[in-house]
Amino acid sequence: MILKILKHDLLKKKIITFAVFIFIMLSAFLMAGGSNMLITLNDSVDYLFEKALLPHFVQYHSGSIDQVMIQNWSQRNENVKRQQNSEMINIPGSKIFINSQQAEVDTVMDLSFVRQNESFDFLLNLNNQIISIDQGEIAVPIYYRQRRNLVPGDNVVIKNEQFEMNFIIKEFVRDAQMNPSVISSKRFVVNNTDFEKMKNQIGKTEYLISFQLNDPARISEFTNQYSQSGLPQKGPAVDYKIFKLFNSLTDGLIAAVVILISLLLNIIALLCLRFIILLTIEEDYKEIGVMKGIGIAASDIRKIYLSKYIFIALTGTIGGFLIYLPARKLFLKNIILFTGEAPKSILQLILPLLTALTIAAVVIVFSIIILRRFNKISPVEAIRLGINAKSYFNKNSFSLSKNNFLNANVFLGLRDVLMRFKLFIILFVVFILTTFIIIVPLNFLNTIKSSEFVRYMGIAESDIIMDLRYTEGIQDRFEQIKTYLANDPDVLEQGAFVTSRYRIINQEGLVENIYIQTGDFSKFNVDYLAGQSPAQANEIALSYLSSSELNKNIGDKVQIIIEEERREMIVTGIYQDITNGGRSAKANLPADYQNASWYNIYINLNSDIAEKINEYEALFDNTKIIDQEGYLAQTLGDTIEQLNILTIAAIIIAGVVIFLITSLFLKTLIARDKAQIAIMKSIGTSIEAIKIQYITKALFVLIFAIFIGTITANILGEQLLTIILSFLGASRIEIIINPIRSYLLSPLIMILIVVSTTLLSINSIKKISLADIKVE
Amino acid sequence: MREILKAENLSKDYLINKKKFNVLRNINISINVGDFVSVMGPSGSGKSTLLYNVSGMDKMSSGEVVFQGEKLSELSEKKLSGLRLKKMGFVFQQINLLNNLGILDNIIFPAQMEGSQDRKKVKQRAVALMKKIGIIELAENEITQASGGQLQRAAICRALINEPEILFADEPTGALNSKSAKEVMDVFHTINKEGTTVMIVTHDIRVASHSSRVIFMKDGNIIGEKVLGELKDLDIELKDREGKLSKWLLDLGF
Repeated sequence: MILKILKHDLLKKKIITFAVFIFIMLSAFLMAGGSNMLITLNDSVDYLFEKALLPHFVQYHSGSIDQVMIQNWSQRNENVKRQQNSEMINIPGSKIFINSQQAEVDTVMDLSFVRQNESFDFLLNLNNQIISIDQGEIAVPIYYRQRRNLVPGDNVVIKNEQFEMNFIIKEFVRDAQMNPSVISSKRFVVNNTDFEKMKNQIGKTEYLISFQLNDPARISEFTNQYSQSGLPQKGPAVDYKIFKLFNSLTDGLIAAVVILISLLLNIIALLCLRFIILLTIEEDYKEIGVMKGIGIAASDIRKIYLSKYIFIALTGTIGGFLIYLPARKLFLKNIILFTGEAPKSILQLILPLLTALTIAAVVIVFSIIILRRFNKISPVEAIRLGINAKSYFNKNSFSLSKNNFLNANVFLGLRDVLMRFKLFIILFVVFILTTFIIIVPLNFLNTIKSSEFVRYMGIAESDIIMDLRYTEGIQDRFEQIKTYLANDPDVLEQGAFVTSRYRIINQEGLVENIYIQTGDFSKFNVDYLAGQSPAQANEIALSYLSSSELNKNIGDKVQIIIEEERREMIVTGIYQDITNGGRSAKANLPADYQNASWYNIYINLNSDIAEKINEYEALFDNTKIIDQEGYLAQTLGDTIEQLNILTIAAIIIAGVVIFLITSLFLKTLIARDKAQIAIMKSIGTSIEAIKIQYITKALFVLIFAIFIGTITANILGEQLLTIILSFLGASRIEIIINPIRSYLLSPLIMILIVVSTTLLSINSIKKISLADIKVE
Repeated sequence: MREILKAENLSKDYLINKKKFNVLRNINISINVGDFVSVMGPSGSGKSTLLYNVSGMDKMSSGEVVFQGEKLSELSEKKLSGLRLKKMGFVFQQINLLNNLGILDNIIFPAQMEGSQDRKKVKQRAVALMKKIGIIELAENEITQASGGQLQRAAICRALINEPEILFADEPTGALNSKSAKEVMDVFHTINKEGTTVMIVTHDIRVASHSSRVIFMKDGNIIGEKVLGELKDLDIELKDREGKLSKWLLDLGF
């Protein structure tokens, strides 16, 4: 008998039961995949670091070095296990042609040519073996293999006016330091002889001063020692923690998103399940009452129903896990390519199964909770009335006879939603979620795209921004440009700033590096979160992240080391900055050209900006000259593009989810309401009238959900963006909403999908006839 | 007499397990305004099928039904619905009230669906009908709060709310006890007296004896018709008519 009841029930609601099964299956599939990604990523990164003998601390330095001095210092330092200096030739993208006539002009990457290292920091091939390269051959970063679909045998040409060199690609470089695409430096490996030929002919040389430490836990201490050592430091310093973070970042994020989607699908599965259970209870109300009446305990009845949901949960989860097994490689493809494959650990096998099974466990626990309702069914009431007499709403206060204004069908639709709101919750929650999924990225995108976003980037608004990075003779060029601009009648005002690396005393009393932009801040001011720009020589403004890490507020004092002397400065302002890791400062100090990292000139014009940019570009070499929009586009271009894709993907996913759930819900609802529809039709209610009732139901739920979803998206979305960006350096983000997109177009799209899905799903009411009344 | 409904060579077939069943075979029938027609016959004789086919609720296989000069076979689904809503009333054996509406709401439902009527007047009419039919005290009740007979009377109110030209009833007393059944038939008698044409399917002689004409069906054919004439006095004539009817039915082999 139990089997009979189950079979009957499964067949009766086969579409939605199947949907629950699919949702559970996909959820388990993604959960297994996502967790496997995380564990594999962790293992692979560790394994790669081990094979490559990754340095724990690397100091970049442009300019010459004194090898002996570094060696002596290293030998004296007890933390150092191994030390190595490697030369890199940095070649601009415009001089490099990778299997193409087109040079890498637009690249955001710093491209360097290196030899294989001797003692550690090895550059590996795709089998995690140390690359060895013959003359005329080259090993190209995996990043380019991905972007350009390169294969061994393709060619790389490096040329400028006087020099040209051709290489054949032999292998691809798995570079533990610079693998991830978020790291904007890439290393190409060439033969020693070729390297010597290139040197002094093309590009400029930079050094990597690398250290392996005896105890990687003491990186911070070592970093301090190095920064105080007086050894070369013209360039950024990076360490092991950053390598690990960046190597894990992209795929870790993807894994997190996969797990998040899995959880979302699980929520939808639970909502569908709840809907089925509620319908089943409504339909079987009388039978449940009879069973209770003849003395079967509620817990036993519950078992009958629960067994079905356990069955669905387990088959779904096992199904998902079984699909995951062959698809496993797909999840890991990117990780395996970039970080290689570590020997399998037992956890890699067990964890995905365990996480998939948690999906089943959640479903089963959820079913048990919902089925508790069985306890409340009174046998007498159930047998006598046959229907659940309890209503969630006072029917009389919302009766047709009191409806004097609304169209009767619209009224009946609204009334049904309010009366049976518990049934509609699934639709309601899904609509809120999808509204959220659409609106949040849409608002993010609009905010980042808006020109006001510049205020979170620590720079002042201006017509043109010039950016000069360190090259030979930079200081002279900087002065030349300033003089030229001073004599240019089209220039309304200019502000020149030099950003140099200083040392600052942090909370623990240790010395830390900080980039301080120096210049006159009375013009070209940024928006301050609090306070104002530094005016006096002993004043400093800190970026949000610097201030929170140094734990300094307006009026507090910080100590900066200037020309080997500690100088106390007063914090006058805190501003938002998401560039350069968010840690920066501004002070009205004389420029320190010795330690300068980059130079900026802001210009306001009284003439055409584009024309001026062309003019300046022709005049000044090695200088990035862009307008504000261009600056935003260049700095955030990749992010905006990714966000664009994400937004489109979100809209498509939301649309599909809306379509699926709406159609499932309505098909099931129509099946349940068959008898009522048959009665309405028999007494002359037209199909159109009934359709209006159902469209009203769907739309009412949708509009209500859009309303709530939009409000939550605006509030939570802003908080979400603030949380994300506060890690990057901006703590007070104002979401800039495009009302046409967020408040008009996206609801309109949702309404269109819902109405068309509803019409499609309720078409079956045509076929309902008098015979269906007997279903009741 | 003016004709309201006519069936010409009306046939209805069903396919069950690839076998064709002729449920109605070339039925010809004509109903005039003010008639009270009962259709009798054994189970499976096709009487309910006839009712649903002449009311346009079911699609005939061949032949034609003409209602007030309009051929039903030529009407669209929408027009047929409109016809049922405005000009016909229906009462079913299983009562078939909408269970998520209260009793008053069920009664005014067809009028609100019709759409063109003043809602206050509809409500007044519903109240008047309920008073007349004796269920006014149930106006605010849910349908779970009334007996079968009361619900069937509410269903009759619903059938009458749009002041139909003809009232169709399929075994309206089938699910009721004899007291409730009598109350319901009294209502039918009154309605008919007031001018509404009534066509009723029944297997109960006491019910049929209220009608002016009785049609007897067997195996999808009409095999006889008895004209009883107008029932003037419920209390006096009913017994006599019942006697006549049973004798006739006995002759037909019922």
